[in-house]
Amino acid sequence: MKNTLLLLFLFFITITFSQEQSQDSSKAYKKRVLEKMEVDLLSSYYAQDGDNAAVTGGIGTEELTDLATIITVSIPLNDDDVLTISAEISAYTSASSSNLDPFDSGASGDDNDDDHDDDDDRNSTSKVINTTTGSPWVESSGDSKKDTWFNGNISYSHSSDDRNRIWSANLNFANEYDYTSIGFGGSHTWLFNEKNTEFGISGNVYLDTWSPIYPTEIDSYLEADQNLNDGFFNGIDILDQNGDIIDKEGFNIWRPLNTTLIDNKSRNTFSVSFSFSQILNKNAQVSFFLDLIQQDGWLASPLQRVYFSDRDNFYIGNAGSIPNYTSPINRDVFQLADDIERLPDSRIKIPIGMRFNYYINETFVARTYYRFYSDDWGITSHTAEIEIPIKISDKFTLYPSYRYYTQTAADYFAPYEENLSTQEFYTSDFDLSDFNANQYGFGIKYTDIFTKLHIWKLNLKSAELKYNHYDRSTGLASDIITLGFNYIFE
Amino acid sequence: MKKNKRMKKVIYIIMAVGFLTSCVAVKEYEKININDPDMVLSSRKSNKFEIAFQAYRESAAGANGGKTGGGCGCN
Repeated sequence: MKNTLLLLFLFFITITFSQEQSQDSSKAYKKRVLEKMEVDLLSSYYAQDGDNAAVTGGIGTEELTDLATIITVSIPLNDDDVLTISAEISAYTSASSSNLDPFDSGASGDDNDDDHDDDDDRNSTSKVINTTTGSPWVESSGDSKKDTWFNGNISYSHSSDDRNRIWSANLNFANEYDYTSIGFGGSHTWLFNEKNTEFGISGNVYLDTWSPIYPTEIDSYLEADQNLNDGFFNGIDILDQNGDIIDKEGFNIWRPLNTTLIDNKSRNTFSVSFSFSQILNKNAQVSFFLDLIQQDGWLASPLQRVYFSDRDNFYIGNAGSIPNYTSPINRDVFQLADDIERLPDSRIKIPIGMRFNYYINETFVARTYYRFYSDDWGITSHTAEIEIPIKISDKFTLYPSYRYYTQTAADYFAPYEENLSTQEFYTSDFDLSDFNANQYGFGIKYTDIFTKLHIWKLNLKSAELKYNHYDRSTGLASDIITLGFNYIFE
Repeated sequence: MKKNKRMKKVIYIIMAVGFLTSCVAVKEYEKININDPDMVLSSRKSNKFEIAFQAYRESAAGANGGKTGGGCGCN
């Protein structure tokens, strides 16, 4: 697979540079690709909730909010070339990821931990009063509750004199607390048949690196050299399924299945994408997309717990709440993880998509999209989407939309307490489960081609407000509001 | 091996389709409806965040003219 992708990438690079030399000789009249500098500002607020948090092994609150903003500046360098720079920041708070360290304690004592890990330090007391509790249904106050993701992208595009060839290259960098990514790629687009037909090929490489953080009980256990009377566990009672305190030096004690965590911190993604578009008549056009994606490295998430059905259960917190562990009424007992999720170190994904747009009349347009997806983890999915833009005046357009999504489960997925420790790979991440989802959306767009409204040198070309509600059959529900502005810089 | 063969077949078909130009040629001056901003054959810029969250919450991604993976701990 990797060789195939490499061959296609080389083919694409060869075609790109050979075409560039032959096209630059024509000197016909040409319109600038981009007349003036444009600035796009886009912000969104996202909120979700559900009962199947992967961090707590497939049960627990999935509450999450995210505030994101991206600013994109497109600069015409000359008649043919455009430089585009974008910067994006996304700040989230998450009950789910805060439960990487679910333990809240009224304990006090001396801190003997020297690993500077905030999640552990909070609990690493040598003289602890045993009031430590936690719950997959309660957001803990751990530092992992909040995080910020930053992404920067630079892309450069060049169009041939006859505008029938477009080349582009891009460079991408992203960073968050536990993850860093460097990406680069390029694309080549051919237009022919009087610009009625378009063929594009692009290649992208992402070289990502984990700075892994683990569930606090597993991390602390390994830090304390597997001693349940040291570090985080010192002075904390561990309970069995009956709620009885275990003898930490006895035979039947809690220990994670594996003491080896991430051994390969990289995650690489190689992709080649093909697109083909065709104008069918004066009112209709269609496009097809095919992506070939190869991923390797650590493809599981080190944050996500797994509980096995064939291993004994152990808890920290209130023994009386153990019978209600899987119910949201449990507010004060937490089950110690059997392991983090384990998934294969390679994955091949093949999505095939299609768009068909039809101009019905001056008021209505139909925009449709369908995608079939398959990968070698056993997942297949279908996505269908329709949007009907309605022009209610020269300046305002409404956008009602509907999207349906369905997927089969990955071969390695099983819900809470249903995986077996004898399996090679396992996860309880419901994003890899069998489900379907419905999304309903509505947007409104203001467009002014004369750009009469302006702030300083920024003339408003368009503004858009959009809302989407998403319902998944697993119980997860989310809402997103997006606000965007497009300015022309004078 | 079987998968590679199947994949190559798909690539060849797509490339063949790509080089088959249509008999229909709508002239530039006839493209007023085709050039309507709502007729663009890609997802809207304003869908960027929504698509990103779908990539987190669903296994499928790509084949929409946008990003295909990488850059985040998702998918």
